[in-house]
Amino acid sequence: MLVFTLFVIVPLGINIAYSTTGGTDLFLPARSYVGGDNFGRLLSCADHLTPATCRDDLFWVAVWNTVRFVLLQVVVLVIVAMATALILNSKIRARGFWRAVFFFPVLLSPVVVGLIWKWIFQRQGLLNYVLFQFGADPVNWLNDRAWAFFASVGVSVWAHVGFYALILLAGLQAIPRDIYEAAELDRTSPARVFRRITLPLLWPNLLVVIVLALIRAVQVFDEVYVLTGGGPGTSTMYLTQYIYETGFASVLRNPGVASAASLLMGGVLVVLTLVQLGLTRWRDRK
Amino acid sequence: MLKGIDLEINEGEFAVFVGPSGCGKSTLLRQISGLDRPSSGRIEIDGRDVTTVGAADRGPAMVFQSYALYPHMTVRDNLAFGLQNNKMPKAEIASRIAEAARMLEIGHLMDRRPAQLSGGQRQRVAIGRAIVRDPTAFLLDEPLSNLDAELRVSMRAELAALHARLKATMIYVTHDQVEAMTLADRIVVLRGGQIEQVATPMELFNRPANRFVAGFIGAPRMNFLSIDEAAALLPASALPAAAEMVGIRPQNLRPAESGMALTVDLAEALGTETVIHGHLASGTKMIVTRAGQLPAHPGELLHFTAEPGKLHVFDAEGVRIDF
Repeated sequence: MLVFTLFVIVPLGINIAYSTTGGTDLFLPARSYVGGDNFGRLLSCADHLTPATCRDDLFWVAVWNTVRFVLLQVVVLVIVAMATALILNSKIRARGFWRAVFFFPVLLSPVVVGLIWKWIFQRQGLLNYVLFQFGADPVNWLNDRAWAFFASVGVSVWAHVGFYALILLAGLQAIPRDIYEAAELDRTSPARVFRRITLPLLWPNLLVVIVLALIRAVQVFDEVYVLTGGGPGTSTMYLTQYIYETGFASVLRNPGVASAASLLMGGVLVVLTLVQLGLTRWRDRK
Repeated sequence: MLKGIDLEINEGEFAVFVGPSGCGKSTLLRQISGLDRPSSGRIEIDGRDVTTVGAADRGPAMVFQSYALYPHMTVRDNLAFGLQNNKMPKAEIASRIAEAARMLEIGHLMDRRPAQLSGGQRQRVAIGRAIVRDPTAFLLDEPLSNLDAELRVSMRAELAALHARLKATMIYVTHDQVEAMTLADRIVVLRGGQIEQVATPMELFNRPANRFVAGFIGAPRMNFLSIDEAAALLPASALPAAAEMVGIRPQNLRPAESGMALTVDLAEALGTETVIHGHLASGTKMIVTRAGQLPAHPGELLHFTAEPGKLHVFDAEGVRIDF
């Protein structure tokens, strides 16, 4: 409880305090009280869909980048994790080895993940070298807005898919084998087995995976920051990076706005976490 | 691992595979069902070689030990699922389900899920799922082993009634010899992947082919004595020359003034019968059961003789010798 107070409650209180103050000073007592101004600055927009019409256009760029990222990354992640789990659950050769291989990236530090893929994607990187060997023109992966976005999605899927595949694999293994044998005797086609048996029985695990992936995707930062630095321009700048740069890294650092933005993001995460908790309880009751 | 299995099951027969765990009885059943494939040999159903035919195309329906009901589907959907896969018309599906529900008295459970059913009800649904398929045979893998003792007895009677009514071929796997004896037309006794004996229940009981079958069928199990120990029941000169071991069922020993002397270790009075556990002077343990209430106390010395013609004689390999 002491640790929780020291490392969660106190910082949260300080964060809330910062979000109501203005100026560039880092020392809290030296900062002036501005009330809800920071939230007002972040939220006031003529048209929320067009960041250029917002008072803090960069915040809304980051918001919409994050929304796009979350939508694509979670969908791809869940599909890939599902496929991986199904393959790892089938009777393949060296199954234990492949299970370890797919889980391995989860053990890597996000910074290492970012560096590995930067080395692959950079202009003189491995991917372009391979393309060149096949006679193709090199592509400027990380300096192209679209490619950089897809690269950030792809790398983050690669880094996390093992974890979610593991949850789904555990769910698949919990389905009794004789149910599949009964289905075989019932002349069920493989597609129908998946749709009518595997998917419904895996659904509770799948829901948890989706919500967990959503939460993690909203928080995306380190591996993408190392990979693209948010660029080119602001095309892969996501919310956490915006908060970090606004609070600490930019020339005109603004801890008040950064704190306000982190509280807004925290609110979204609290909602998602409550949904996840609710789903877990619902699953345990079943 | 099955070895040298050569077995024919007749149409309409209730065949029971029985044996200790690991004897291969479930493996044999799964190979008949098509869920497992034999590494060599042939399986024929209705004269058709089905060795390489898939499970769904073989004809028999299976009832699993765990029931293997689809947990997320209602009873109705559980029954209908396989029929829908076969693109059967809806009206036909409905009528088959109604017929099975009537037969098994599960009509009121149709909209429940397996988790909302008792063990006995799940068992009925599992059997219903087999019945609606109108299979060429029923394969039942220890279907009663998850039920409590009382329910097991009543389901056993229902299964016998069901067999009489459907007149379908049934192959039933169990490790419980009482189930085997009460249900079977013929019993297949297996051990270590091999068939020990195939016979009617009474033939197995009265003329076991070898020492293993003799010890496995019948409760309490048969007493086995060396030729010397058995001399008090029957002189060695009256036995065939190759005899090595003599067996006598606990029920076939009767009290006498003289004969085999048994020191009582424990007497279990069950009311209708008394089960006496004791030992011979040589230390060999013996069990005697007598109808009615027989006074016997630990440490007491009792004498028994064998009922005529009830001794079983086995040679050095444990094979029965008729004499």
